[in-house]
Amino acid sequence: MSGDLDRRRLLSLACAGAGFGLLARGLESEPVVGATVAGDQIPAREASWYRKLEEKRVACQLCPRACQVAEAETGGCGVRENRGGVYHTLVWGAACAVHVDPIEKKPFFHVLPGQRALSFATAGCNVECKFCQNWEISQFRAEQVKAVYLPPEELAKAARRAGAPLLSATYSEPVVFWEYVRDAAQAGRRLGIRSTVVSNGYIQEQPLREVLPLLAAFKVDLKAFREQFYRDLVRGELKPVLRALEIIRASGVWLEIVVLLIPTLNDSEAEVRDLARWVVRTLGPEVPVHFTRFHPTYRLTNLRATPVATLDRAWAIAKAEGLQFAYVGNVPGHAGESTVCPGCGELLIERAGFQVLSNRLHHGACPACHRTIPGVWV
Amino acid sequence: MREPLSRRELLAVVSAGVVGAVGTGAAPVRRGKVGLARLPATAVGADMTTAQAREALERALVAATGASSGAAAAKQLFAPGDTVGIKVNTLGGPRLSPRPALVEALAALLRDAGVGSERIIVFDSSSRELQRAGYTIRRSGEPFLCFGIDNDYDRQPASHGAIGSCFARLVSATCTALVSLGVVKDHDLAGVSAGLKNWFGVIHNPNKYHDGNCNPYVADVVSHPYVRSKLRLTVLDAGTAQCHGGPAYRPDMAWPLGMVAASTDPVAIDAWAWKVIDEERTRRGLPRLAEAQRPPSFVATAARYGLGVGDPAAVREVLA
Repeated sequence: MSGDLDRRRLLSLACAGAGFGLLARGLESEPVVGATVAGDQIPAREASWYRKLEEKRVACQLCPRACQVAEAETGGCGVRENRGGVYHTLVWGAACAVHVDPIEKKPFFHVLPGQRALSFATAGCNVECKFCQNWEISQFRAEQVKAVYLPPEELAKAARRAGAPLLSATYSEPVVFWEYVRDAAQAGRRLGIRSTVVSNGYIQEQPLREVLPLLAAFKVDLKAFREQFYRDLVRGELKPVLRALEIIRASGVWLEIVVLLIPTLNDSEAEVRDLARWVVRTLGPEVPVHFTRFHPTYRLTNLRATPVATLDRAWAIAKAEGLQFAYVGNVPGHAGESTVCPGCGELLIERAGFQVLSNRLHHGACPACHRTIPGVWV
Repeated sequence: MREPLSRRELLAVVSAGVVGAVGTGAAPVRRGKVGLARLPATAVGADMTTAQAREALERALVAATGASSGAAAAKQLFAPGDTVGIKVNTLGGPRLSPRPALVEALAALLRDAGVGSERIIVFDSSSRELQRAGYTIRRSGEPFLCFGIDNDYDRQPASHGAIGSCFARLVSATCTALVSLGVVKDHDLAGVSAGLKNWFGVIHNPNKYHDGNCNPYVADVVSHPYVRSKLRLTVLDAGTAQCHGGPAYRPDMAWPLGMVAASTDPVAIDAWAWKVIDEERTRRGLPRLAEAQRPPSFVATAARYGLGVGDPAAVREVLA
């Protein structure tokens, strides 16, 4: 019978098939490029963003967890390890999932509509959402997940071969493979391929600021607007995520936000209203916010899927609070999947699921009232 | 004063108790009793013969259980039909892991109790760590099997107390009886890594549960029915112990404690390990673990769950 592990196997198989005809290039003591190997067979590299402490301990400076890690231990993410007082990333080049996806799947609705993104991930995550959709890779350590060895240059070349103008670090949590994200973005830039990140936004300021100039767009999963939710269901904190959102927005990198509405846990009218008000006031009304439907998974299997009525209500609240681009996700065919001009109400980009049915934008503006629509259109 | 259990703790204890009640009917736990056997000077360092290990292990078992002999103790604790999983902690490498000679001695006792060679499984998280610590990987044959979990976990996570983890199938499905075979060492985050913390190695995501000195997470793993209903014995190779700088081996912080410890009370033996580590730290002018902000508070939590005796004053050390 097809069990849940099959999904992990499927991801591994997807990796195996994701060599994209790469030229095998034997490197001394490194796995062959494009080969599927156990995660711990990929060479570790010294991590960026950490400092050395006394007695060979290290302090990670990548995410707000700020793990202090003794020798021979890994950080909370499970993919960074202290080896003899030097902190290493175990997942640089260790792509455990590689797919070519429509950019709408990320979702980005204001970034090159209808285009494709070569999407990649490694094992590991810095939080533990009880509702994680990709827990078979995000909640496992580097050595527990099979990976394809794809150094950044090969990733960028694979995107070009696939006709994808975008790279997207996604699926698990790009923060924990931030060096790979950075180097892939640089490699992509050399080939004219732009990079996007799909993240929880739980990252410290310095690494965020260092990588932002290399990115075209950033999507943040804002899990809720209450600290208690972050503590109880995410094992993280809300405040650093809000700070990251401010930094991303101020950087000029295109920003979109996704809010997964989970029945009874983060879907109250008051919370949705607070969130929408904060976005409008702090980030601006033109930042797209996607309210998406929860489906029971991982450790939250006792709840039902989010009723469409709940998403409708959030959508209405967001618009009433002044958000110009509120969307509804994971409900194929919903009117909230399409982009409408906030000036005149003209239907601009019509979508069904991840498909773009029509795009009437003209040079990034509404063809009816000529209002400029913010986004990355060319 | 004993604190009341929280709702979450109560659920953990009740669910564990329900399964435990229909468990294997193993010998009763000698609550609070820790058997100690001194090793001969020649067996304290890296080298120890199987004969030396067996002699010390048998004395520790007799002291811990009150049985007439080591073999009698093994028969009290294990039945011929059992499949016995011996979880070793080999993270510390060859200098700070349970020595293979002690494992061989324990396996020999189990065989004497009627447990077949292929029903004795020595394991840790990965085959690589086992090999690094001097173990030979063996998936069939005699005198016992030895291999890593190597990603063979349940397909779905089990939520229990504060943890949500996929357990090794060796623990959830294969074994009917379990032994924790650890060492006595300081741990940078948990405070102490001895018998209880060893069980972190049977879940897929221990890296998620090192906050707050691993409390209540260690106790939650051990109180899960998969472990609690099968755990018969804890043995510690305390030939070399380490009072600071763990979990990796630090020669300057290791000292020759020169003992084998055994107990059917998994909490009491950790309370003892905590005590001896603190005593050594005091001798060296280091702050005690509580003063160093890393008391192994999971010991008290495990006691509150009913897993054993956590109050050091109530632990009875029996030196054989």
